Amino acid sequence: MKDFKYTWLIGLFGTLFLIVAPIVAFITPNAGATDDPWANVPIRVPPTSHADLMPGPYETGQEVTVACLECHEDAADQVMHTTHWTWKSEPVQLPGRDELVQIGKANQINNFCIGTQGNEPGCTRCHIGYGWEDANFDFDNKEAVDCLACHADTATYTKGLAGIPVEGVDLAAAAQSVSTPTRAQCGSCHFNGGGGNAVKHGDLDESLYYPNEEIDVHMGRFDFLCVDCHQTDDHNIKGRAISVSVDNENQVACTDCHEEGLHEDARVNAHVENVACQTCHIPEGAVRDATKMHWDWSTAGQDIEEDPHEYLKIKGSFVYERGFMPEYTWYNGTADRYILGDEIDPTQSTLINEPLGGIDDETAKLWPFKVHRANQIYDAIYNYLLQPKTVGEGGYWTDFDWDQAARLGAEATGMAYSGEYGFAPTEMYWSLSHMVAPKESALQCDDCHGENGRMNWEELGYYGDPLTWGGREQQALLNK
Amino acid sequence: MGVLLMVAALGLVYTDSAEAQSSATPTLAPLHPTFALLDENGTSVLDSGNPVSTMQTCGSCHDTAFIQSHSFHSDAGLSSLSAPGTTGSGRDWDVSNGIFGRFNPLTYRYLSAEGDEHIDLTTAEWLMVYGPRHVGGGPATTSQYGVDLRDLAVSAENLETSIVDPQTGDLIPWDWDASGTVEMNCFLCHLDTPNNDARTEALQSGAFGWANSATLLGTGIIERVGDEWQWNEAAFGDDGKLLSDYVTVRDPSDTNCAQCHGLVHTDSQTPLVLEGCEPTQWSTITTGQIQSAQKLSNSGMNLSDKDDLSRSWDVHAERVVGCTDCHYSLNNPIYYQERDETQPDHLQFDPRRIDFGEYLQRPVHEFAKGASAQGVLAPELDNTLRRCESCHDAEGSHDWLPYAEKHFDAIACETCHIPDMRAPARQTLDWTVLSADSTPTTECRGIEGDLIVGYQPVLLPRDNGDGTSKLAPHNLITAWYWVYGDPERPVPYRDLEAAWLDGDTYHDDIIETFDANGDGQIDESELLIDNEAKEAVIAARIAALGLENPRIVGEIQPYTISHNVTHGDFAVRECATCHSDESRITTPIRLSSNTPGGVTPTFVGDTNIVPGGEIYSSEDGALYFRPNTDGTDDEPGLYILGHNSVWWIDWLGAALFAVTVVGVAVHGSLRFLMARRHGVENGHSAETHEEYMYGVYERLWHWLQTAVIFGLLFTGMVIHKPAQFGIFSFPYVVQVHNILAFLLVANAFLALFYHLASGEIKQFLPQPRGFFIGAIEQAHFYLYGIFKGEPHPYEKTRQRKMNPLQQATYFGLLNILLPLQIIVGILMWGAQRWPDIVTMAGGLPILAPVHTLISWLLATFIVMHIYLTTTGPTPTANLKAMIGGWEEVEGTEETIEGQTATD
Repeated sequence: MKDFKYTWLIGLFGTLFLIVAPIVAFITPNAGATDDPWANVPIRVPPTSHADLMPGPYETGQEVTVACLECHEDAADQVMHTTHWTWKSEPVQLPGRDELVQIGKANQINNFCIGTQGNEPGCTRCHIGYGWEDANFDFDNKEAVDCLACHADTATYTKGLAGIPVEGVDLAAAAQSVSTPTRAQCGSCHFNGGGGNAVKHGDLDESLYYPNEEIDVHMGRFDFLCVDCHQTDDHNIKGRAISVSVDNENQVACTDCHEEGLHEDARVNAHVENVACQTCHIPEGAVRDATKMHWDWSTAGQDIEEDPHEYLKIKGSFVYERGFMPEYTWYNGTADRYILGDEIDPTQSTLINEPLGGIDDETAKLWPFKVHRANQIYDAIYNYLLQPKTVGEGGYWTDFDWDQAARLGAEATGMAYSGEYGFAPTEMYWSLSHMVAPKESALQCDDCHGENGRMNWEELGYYGDPLTWGGREQQALLNK
Repeated sequence: MGVLLMVAALGLVYTDSAEAQSSATPTLAPLHPTFALLDENGTSVLDSGNPVSTMQTCGSCHDTAFIQSHSFHSDAGLSSLSAPGTTGSGRDWDVSNGIFGRFNPLTYRYLSAEGDEHIDLTTAEWLMVYGPRHVGGGPATTSQYGVDLRDLAVSAENLETSIVDPQTGDLIPWDWDASGTVEMNCFLCHLDTPNNDARTEALQSGAFGWANSATLLGTGIIERVGDEWQWNEAAFGDDGKLLSDYVTVRDPSDTNCAQCHGLVHTDSQTPLVLEGCEPTQWSTITTGQIQSAQKLSNSGMNLSDKDDLSRSWDVHAERVVGCTDCHYSLNNPIYYQERDETQPDHLQFDPRRIDFGEYLQRPVHEFAKGASAQGVLAPELDNTLRRCESCHDAEGSHDWLPYAEKHFDAIACETCHIPDMRAPARQTLDWTVLSADSTPTTECRGIEGDLIVGYQPVLLPRDNGDGTSKLAPHNLITAWYWVYGDPERPVPYRDLEAAWLDGDTYHDDIIETFDANGDGQIDESELLIDNEAKEAVIAARIAALGLENPRIVGEIQPYTISHNVTHGDFAVRECATCHSDESRITTPIRLSSNTPGGVTPTFVGDTNIVPGGEIYSSEDGALYFRPNTDGTDDEPGLYILGHNSVWWIDWLGAALFAVTVVGVAVHGSLRFLMARRHGVENGHSAETHEEYMYGVYERLWHWLQTAVIFGLLFTGMVIHKPAQFGIFSFPYVVQVHNILAFLLVANAFLALFYHLASGEIKQFLPQPRGFFIGAIEQAHFYLYGIFKGEPHPYEKTRQRKMNPLQQATYFGLLNILLPLQIIVGILMWGAQRWPDIVTMAGGLPILAPVHTLISWLLATFIVMHIYLTTTGPTPTANLKAMIGGWEEVEGTEETIEGQTATD
């Protein structure tokens, strides 16, 4: 009865509970977004030093690959199932076509250097294989997989024609330097698409090697690597570009890490249904290095003053732009595609990869694009775009003879060439997803709405500025 | 664009939607039909070559007479003209509440009243000086007697038909027929690109009749050939109407408003540039308000901390809300809403309204306006503007803010949502001196050298229009100038100039007096009347011009700041901004670097604010205004927790507390010493035994109350003096305090119920029989017996735990102090729930200090209470009893039992 050793403990905790419980229950927490994007960023695996594992010497790249495969038995097989290797998609259905088509760098054209077929040795510098010189390349040869392209320190390794390491590369040193790909490995090809720094994408260029946060908030402020978002499963890397991938599979999305409704402002959040994150958060493309906006092949071949950003004899004339304002259109993640042989109207601009979607397509959102416009060679009788041979013997870059280049190109593609050629306007869409600006620099209302807004609402299918006319839902009511 | 777009919208909606969709780029503008430009006789200007008449031209469709007569922009005070000195401003020479007749030291020039000997501005001169800021019509066409200015007999005797001859200073006739008058200028606000410069030039040169036509210069409609104005025939069709390309009539855009009102920057691509402190736009110079969607960090201005300023100049501009969206025409059917006061209770929206056709014919040009300290024109329209809360539902977005309603009640939205101004603004004008270019000395706030640092507006109680007021941000512009005569008049500009300057050099005696460093020049720092000699020199010079008794007066004009609102992300969210010693609420604002003539300025009389506070000089001679929170006769002041306190209550409470602590320390020490001398532990020699004193529930409620009271005292201290407890989050502490208070009340009621139900309550009730003797005995024990080791005069039993002294103490504590504290606390908590009741009880300024005082008393009681627990048979006997229930009490069990049996 006089022993209160334990009862007082019960009393103490009981009393404390009576006080703490209501405080915990009734106190209003300071509201704030609980989004933790870091939860979805993988912890990087520390690289294993291969200095002792790859003694060398190696005569050829293939020998390195064989050595790699001794431990990484499945690696080559995995790589050979990816488009990095095949340069060609799985068969996909395009609107208005009866048959499935495969689309890729291997067999289709763009409006930059136009096409690979017949030009392999030049284009395949950036293929992750060795020796793709012509159509006879053996895609089943594991030894031809170039592990070093993505894994070797770029300071030790460079690929040349047909993807063969250039002379002087110390393959043993390269093999010993391997690690998880950094921005340098990815960038060595992807920052230089189209034949040089910043030419192609408008949101990928060498400024991303060491960007400040104004160029890219992920890389500049948070030190991201490409592979932090482009996460990889058995060498299959997430992420697609509309230029060669017309379906919506295996994509990287902002919402992989960020919650959709995380804006504190309800009005801003209401945009998420209709507007891609990129639209507001990538207010401009080519933030630091100018990108190619227009390419006129028809002026090539003249012996006039050259400037890589204005005119080259082998390529014609260009317009480059830095900090360009993107063009906006509805995009549901899929695209149509110009397939070699499709008839064109040479008086109209041919869309090589038209983004699909529209105001009535609920899955479509407004997306920012770099639109690359070109004037490129076509067959004036058959009215289709041609794929000229540019690289190597007989190529346009050697002989400056369009007729011959067209004929040799036609041989490589197996298409008929009438002997009459001309130049037709084309457009290619490049969706912007990189160079995300810090949130402080995101677009604000008046950038799109109001008198000085950058959107052409009527062209997008609205009756007028949705700020006053209402959004898609209200618009649908008006159309009933 | 509202109306035009809406008309277009209806047109489109009712056409076949497929067709509407197919028209790729429907051009909504120009919707305005083409029209002929007519002169005042209704003849085409092409035929007559005369100036265009807006009344005739626009009047062929719109009711221009109606428009002109329903526009305070046009009236400008004409209709409220009264005898000098009878307006609310308190100035002897003000004759109206508008720009036509109300003095403003920023512009200094004033309309002279009939009978003034020394004339500053006649009507025609007023139009030359102020016409550029006036839209025409009103005093620009009409005499104060209501007739057309051109119908007045031309006479140098009449200030309406004369001007001052700059050579002689005499009045000479002004022929309005020759000069023409200025009709209300539709073009100025309804054209895309009106030429305000050409209009201004025409006005300043006295070519009034051409001023409105000049507004069209640059559109291709009219050209200037030499001194002649020529209408361009190429702009007109064969039917005499303007070709549609030349019709750019539209709803007023922000840039139209900007011509007179403030800096507007609509192009987000080009950086906004504002250097130094010389903006020409009115609202920008008076307050620093800039209307732009651009982020401050993207502007071209030399702002301090610019990189961190990722907010836009104005969130409404950012969100594409234009001037006319809030300041709309009052009969615009889109915006019109009947006021709550007149709308029947059963109706939320009345769909019956004028249609667009009627509106376009007779659009009222009275625009919705708020209520500002400076906007005293058209007071009947005050608060016709939709206020923040009529568009925004603050409750939905202020979850985080404790006591939201109390805050909304006391402070205007702008106070937090305009955290600071990031542009320079005028601070001081000193017209008592003139620089060599005939301008006054001026000072700006918010700028240091070339660096724009911005400023914090001062918070002043602004009348809501219903007798209540809220604190709202203001700039104060202080001005000093010379007046003369009785009734007072400012020294006319010409006379002031003559007094100071001979051409563009100072008079010799002025140089002699002002030139402190003897370099023969008067530099900026010397140009200040800071002693009697200087004042006397200038006064003498002014008097010599025939102006009697010249003297210096100073005035303070508050300017309400309602624009440059920020999004909540950038608004004031830190409680400590106001709830601290250095509260934002009472932060002083600098008035001037010095006090010309030693004259303390006074607030102008016709503002809608109640400027409670003090004007004081700092050590370096600068003049400041510090607002206070004392309130007025009609309204109690503010008591800001964490900022306000009543000094003597804290001192009294602290003293009481300290005396008690010292008292028990002395008492305890004596007990200790005496006990050692007597060799008896704790001073008691009596036999003891253990008794079950406190039941489980008694112990629980006691300890719960103990913890809660300690918690309340601590959180109360944090709330009272947050600066001393900076690590605690103020809003959390407030919430914890409230929750603890609820626990205290709940626990007290449950305990009361227990005591009532069990009958234990009688233990707390002093028994009249023998109470005093018992109390004296108990007091004697504490003061004497306890040191001697005498036994307690009262034996403590389960049934009778309290001695008479305790009973008396608890009786007071539980019946007076605690309930009072609870009631006061509930009232403070209820300040936002039942503001009327709280106001009846004196409001926070009374309740809060009472709460504080009782807290001190309770804290003092606790010291005493704890100390007395040590006076049992052993120092810890009482404590142990309260924990375990069993207490060591004096006496043997037997005697106790026997006692109980006989009781």
